Amino acid sequence: MDNSSVSYLESRKLVKRWSGPIPALVNTIFILAIFYATWWIFQDPRGLMRMYTPYVGYMVCRWLLILFIWVAYIFDYWPFKRSWLEKTHPLIKGTILTLVSVAAMILLIKGFFVEILGNFGIAYFDPSRLEAMGITDFYSIEYAAEAIMMFAAIASWLSPSWVVACENAPWQKLDQPARGITIAVVTFFLSMIVYFLTMHSHMAILFYPWQKFTAICPPYWEQFANTVSGNFHIAWIMCCTVVVWLFETIWERYPFNLIKNDALRRVTSFFGIIAIAVALCFFLYYAQDLVWGQTIRGTRRLMAPDWRWLHVGEMAIFWLVPSLYLAFYCNNWPTKFSRPVNVCIRTLLTALMAAFVYIVYYKTSHLFLGTQKGFSHPQQFPMIPMIWLINIFLINVWFMDGWPGWRAVPKTTAELAEIKEEVVAHDVAWTPGLAKGLFIGLCAGVLLYIAIINILPWIGEHFTIIH
Amino acid sequence: MSKDNKGITRRDFVKGAATGLVVGAFASMGVYSYTSSAYDRLPTAERKMHDFGACRSVRVTNISETSWFNNAHLIGDIHEAGGLLVNQYTLNWAPFANGKGSAKGSYDDGIGSIKELLPNDLKKAWEIQKKLALHPDNPGGYSCLLEVEDLDGTIHKYLLDTGWSYEWMEDSFKREGIDKMLEEQQIEALFISHEHWDHFWGLPVTVKYDNRIPLYVHDGFYKEGLQYIKDCGYKGEMTIVDKPITEIIPGMALLKFDVPIINRVFGETSLAFNIKDKGLLLISGCCHQGILKFADFAQANLKYDNDRFYGIYGGLHISPFEDWDPKYDDLVISLGEWGFERIGCNHCTGHLTAKKFIEAGYPVVRGTARFRSASKDYLGNGDKISFGC
Repeated sequence: MDNSSVSYLESRKLVKRWSGPIPALVNTIFILAIFYATWWIFQDPRGLMRMYTPYVGYMVCRWLLILFIWVAYIFDYWPFKRSWLEKTHPLIKGTILTLVSVAAMILLIKGFFVEILGNFGIAYFDPSRLEAMGITDFYSIEYAAEAIMMFAAIASWLSPSWVVACENAPWQKLDQPARGITIAVVTFFLSMIVYFLTMHSHMAILFYPWQKFTAICPPYWEQFANTVSGNFHIAWIMCCTVVVWLFETIWERYPFNLIKNDALRRVTSFFGIIAIAVALCFFLYYAQDLVWGQTIRGTRRLMAPDWRWLHVGEMAIFWLVPSLYLAFYCNNWPTKFSRPVNVCIRTLLTALMAAFVYIVYYKTSHLFLGTQKGFSHPQQFPMIPMIWLINIFLINVWFMDGWPGWRAVPKTTAELAEIKEEVVAHDVAWTPGLAKGLFIGLCAGVLLYIAIINILPWIGEHFTIIH
Repeated sequence: MSKDNKGITRRDFVKGAATGLVVGAFASMGVYSYTSSAYDRLPTAERKMHDFGACRSVRVTNISETSWFNNAHLIGDIHEAGGLLVNQYTLNWAPFANGKGSAKGSYDDGIGSIKELLPNDLKKAWEIQKKLALHPDNPGGYSCLLEVEDLDGTIHKYLLDTGWSYEWMEDSFKREGIDKMLEEQQIEALFISHEHWDHFWGLPVTVKYDNRIPLYVHDGFYKEGLQYIKDCGYKGEMTIVDKPITEIIPGMALLKFDVPIINRVFGETSLAFNIKDKGLLLISGCCHQGILKFADFAQANLKYDNDRFYGIYGGLHISPFEDWDPKYDDLVISLGEWGFERIGCNHCTGHLTAKKFIEAGYPVVRGTARFRSASKDYLGNGDKISFGC
């Protein structure tokens, strides 16, 4: 087995340039500096390009995320050669791969969505068509950007899911670019179906009178979600996006990788991610009701069901940031225990870190990001800075091999064999001890949940994040 | 069992327990969180029934609801400046324009050009600012006169908000006789609903006629706003509202909402009235907190006659730029369930919303579309509405 038989990300090993925590610290400073500089240049409402209007900025950072996933995960860096990836300086490589992704993103947004889909298919993808129909230029651009962005939100769950959960099946043996094109086209097609089922009715309601002849208005989810807003779908879709990455990084695809049968493992992983995401989605919605009180349909901001659903997605993204940081820059700490214990500790640890990031964000972001103070400003989406930061993580780790703190070296044959082995986990087997532990653990998990939902109302009464 | 075997069993037990803990927690989230039993355990909020008295009637005169005349210009300027989160004092709108272009304004630059002229030479001040500002003819303003009749028949007059354009508000005040009322100190207080340009920046027009009128502002006002009050020549007693409920006279209370608003404004104050034998009347400037949040807060905290929602007046901030969002339909669909008997809306409610309210069969009081108001679907400039008379 050689390293050309696996993807580039699997073929390389990132080695620290310095011992101890120095690489993580150096990269953290590097990433934060890049984040703040690029935020100011592209997004900040006080900065240069001011794309945080907010949907234009949101659309850009979501599609960039997809493009990075396509470049690294789906296309395995095709058309760039493996030798180029291995020999080029990380800074040059990072710059070129980022620029290629940006160019592809512009082509996709302007070329496909605005010019083709907007002009020959669905008018709301093209701002100029909306403006011609009497909507102000600002809202024309925002509405079109919202539609294009929502497509990306769906794709950013389905695209990595096909790689992580479905293991590229049934096209895993195809060479590039055939595999990349196939998976991109299939996930794009699936995204379109999900988009029509979840967001088209939302977009139709943006216009008066409702486009009843072309969309289901009021939509089918109205009673269940207590809103006609598509934010209900943003909630579970964002949770899917987050869970797929938790599954890939801090959970090491556990526990679904215990299933030996390939088809069953892939199907279970794909739908298991959705099930976990829905569970997380319901909990995060309920948690808000416990802290802030029950929603009032038709009201605005903090008390509105549509905003609470949106905030579910926002809270989920707050979990993704520390999870990726732990995986990328802390060697997925801890690693010294058995896989289930590692996974359990990482889950609890990153959930706590997410709560910390959430509090710090809402206490301080308006001071340095140019956003508004408060949880529920209609123009404030914490998802944008969080995903912007995640994009920089991805550029740094996927395109720059973790430079400056890390460098890539090819994995040895033995290490490559280990990857192959790890598709199905072998370190957990069914025993009476495991069964007993599982039962006790399940009870503890239920108790933990009960404890949390009992503590949340008390937290709501006694703690105020934003004064 | 050997020691080794015991070790392996213990290790397996821990593996199982660790897995079970995470699975159990997630399973509970999915199985329980969105069920009706989860919601049954939420405590029912006890209504505080704060008794703030009662008044006999409230009459509202719409001095101006046209905060700006052209949506495309207003939202275009905001867009050019960088969007809805840009600080309003930097937008280069009068009276804080410095002529440097979009998003390059500042409070200090702007006020520096007119400070010496406030509050007495407003015509000259506005002329100077018109030369420096973006779309200088677009500003209008929101302001209304409230005449509250108490139970012994005494009429108390108040202003809610003070508009924007010095020129437009001078004309509007004169048209409704507000200038005389201020000069004669008939008006007992000015309430600023929030710090936005169209409700607050016309302050010198009020101060010109009465520089000691008691003034109420939300405690979320920024330093520029507080400085403007001083720079306008205001010499009276200002109350910074920092309590959820401030009683004004029997049957009239100021309610405070801490809500983030576009262009870096924070917080809104609105008015609640208990009209004898009728019920609760809610009056807002822009109602950024949402009319149902406003009603819900009043219901949770205040005691009012018949325990009934009676009336609404003001901007309801739904489609101010004739934009739309599905969540606005949530309001249109839900509002009917609250049972308001008389709805007077305008300003940032949006024409589209008023149209949808009317289509939904709600008791919307329609207007006359005079003095540059754009629609008869709601109460326009110079229109009046009475509650309890």
